[in-house]
Amino acid sequence: MTQAVPSITDPALLGDGGTLTGRKPLIEIRNVSAGYENKRAKTRLIALRDVTLEVYPGEFLAIVGPSGCGKTTLINMIAGFMKPLEGTITVRGEKVDGPSADRAMVFQDYAVLPWRTVYNNVKFALENRRPRPNKDELATRIAKVLAMVGLSGFEQSYPYELSGGMRQRVGIARALVSDPEILLMDEPFGAVDAMTREAMQAEFEKIIAETGQTVFFITHSIDEAVALADRVVVVSSRPGHIKEIVDIDLPRSRFAEGVKSNPRFGELREHIWGLLQAEALGAKIGGAGV
Amino acid sequence: MTTVQPAPAKPDEDVSSITEAITRSRWAPFRSLIITVLNLTVFFTIWQLIALAEVINPLFFPKATAMFSAIYTGFADGIIGPELWHSVQNFTIGLIIASVIGIPLGLLMGGVRIVDLILSPYVWAMAALPRVALIPLLILILGFGNSMQLTIIVLSAVFPMMVNCMEGVKTVDPSLIRAGRVFGANGPQMYFKVILPFTLPFVISGINQGIARGLVGMLIGELLGGGGEGLGFLLDRAGDQFDAPMLYGTLLILAVLSVGLVQGMRWVERRAAPWRDQSRV
Ligand SMILES: Nc1ncnc2c1ncn2[C@@H]1O[C@H](COP(=O)(O)OP(=O)(O)O)[C@@H](O)[C@H]1O
Ligand SMILES: [Mg+2]
Repeated sequence: MTQAVPSITDPALLGDGGTLTGRKPLIEIRNVSAGYENKRAKTRLIALRDVTLEVYPGEFLAIVGPSGCGKTTLINMIAGFMKPLEGTITVRGEKVDGPSADRAMVFQDYAVLPWRTVYNNVKFALENRRPRPNKDELATRIAKVLAMVGLSGFEQSYPYELSGGMRQRVGIARALVSDPEILLMDEPFGAVDAMTREAMQAEFEKIIAETGQTVFFITHSIDEAVALADRVVVVSSRPGHIKEIVDIDLPRSRFAEGVKSNPRFGELREHIWGLLQAEALGAKIGGAGV
Repeated sequence: MTTVQPAPAKPDEDVSSITEAITRSRWAPFRSLIITVLNLTVFFTIWQLIALAEVINPLFFPKATAMFSAIYTGFADGIIGPELWHSVQNFTIGLIIASVIGIPLGLLMGGVRIVDLILSPYVWAMAALPRVALIPLLILILGFGNSMQLTIIVLSAVFPMMVNCMEGVKTVDPSLIRAGRVFGANGPQMYFKVILPFTLPFVISGINQGIARGLVGMLIGELLGGGGEGLGFLLDRAGDQFDAPMLYGTLLILAVLSVGLVQGMRWVERRAAPWRDQSRV
């Protein structure tokens, strides 16, 4: 049976296992609204309305929602690129005010520097902030993450010599190398082909099991969200707001155990699909009515 | 119910590194050179045959051999050498001045809004204005001398450089800027590690356009400026004297010069920004 998990604002209500219960949230998003001004039309497009959400340490949180519902807007605010119109975002109790070393990001379009080799792209994450690791430590750490993402041997390659999937591996390695507390990922596998995508999801689950980052993961693939996340936040459009937060009570490690043939996987998938479809239908009917 | 084993996640095939030695013919590196030499030989031979047949008035269509011998004697008698040197020297100095002014200013315009707002109307007006229109004014101000010739080169080259540098900075991929911020780049680090490398190909194409426009500026200055020096002057005099072989010879020298510069810059461009040329093997 599909089981609808009620929207959660109180950590005590969180799912079974108790892994998250009672912990202090790492990221707190409180009544956040966001929008973009259109200077010519003198209007403001509201992208997100009154979003409240907590992310707990060590949790893998996925956000699913239709295109244009404000997912990128939300992650950009957590990263510190833009400020909410209303409400607050705090990380470990401190208000987000620009990017910081505790939050690394993996971009949908990879955003690797085309003029740098794989090695130097990863190094970029370690060379700007102080204290800078010394040369030996740098080399060890870079070698370690490159091995982790399966890019050993490609240190001296340039991004244009790599496939899309490999470029994103560089992006992931760059985000992991400084061992940040939080990994922000905006549709990281959205631009890679389906087969590579599946393989990368599996590898990524393994990597995160090893490194233990808190992951804030945006996707528009329900399968991907259910397969990877501890909780899935379903966002509806427009303006985006949280429709439901679904606990994913599937055992790990999921890919190793063939999660997609687990009946529970199908149930959760159906459930989320239902939520989003009602959304799409509602939007259509509402749009026609107005 | 199902007894089917789930397929294990396949490792990405990209990861296994496969390299293979490539065996090419020994002649491969020379192939394009050989083709070019053959091509030019055929071209000049046909030219020679047409000229010998005198289907076109030899007054404006000399024999290819006459042109080559005019070039040879021109150099031997010290007629071409000093003029060529004059032009090359002027052009080089003009281009250096234009780069020193145009590149930093263009980069600044791209990065600092207020500088852009103030300078843009003048830059666009000057970039669009045909350079010849300035000659009378420049002659009025600077007279018929070298400084006038140099000024026209600088004015020709500097604006395309500025515009390209400005556009380059403005088109920096916003994702790369975000990546810079996420990974802690401060102002100067962002500029030197993200913005400038991204802009480099634009700077080079600015220099390319500067070279092309600068050459035109150089010739205009020498042809119309009445300074009595340079390849332009040589052209002018050869025309006046109905010296077709010399006229063609000078044009050939100019063509070789321009092609050399353009090819040289293309080479630089490939070296400086190999990521832009992804399909090249
Ligand atoms: N820079 C921007 N300027 C104006 N509107 C924007 C901008 N970025 C996004 N939007 C609008 O805000 C809404 C949410 O966008 P986004 O957060 O990118 O959605 P998602 O990532 O879920 O597809 C969309 O309607 C989009 O058109
Ligand atoms: Mg998005």
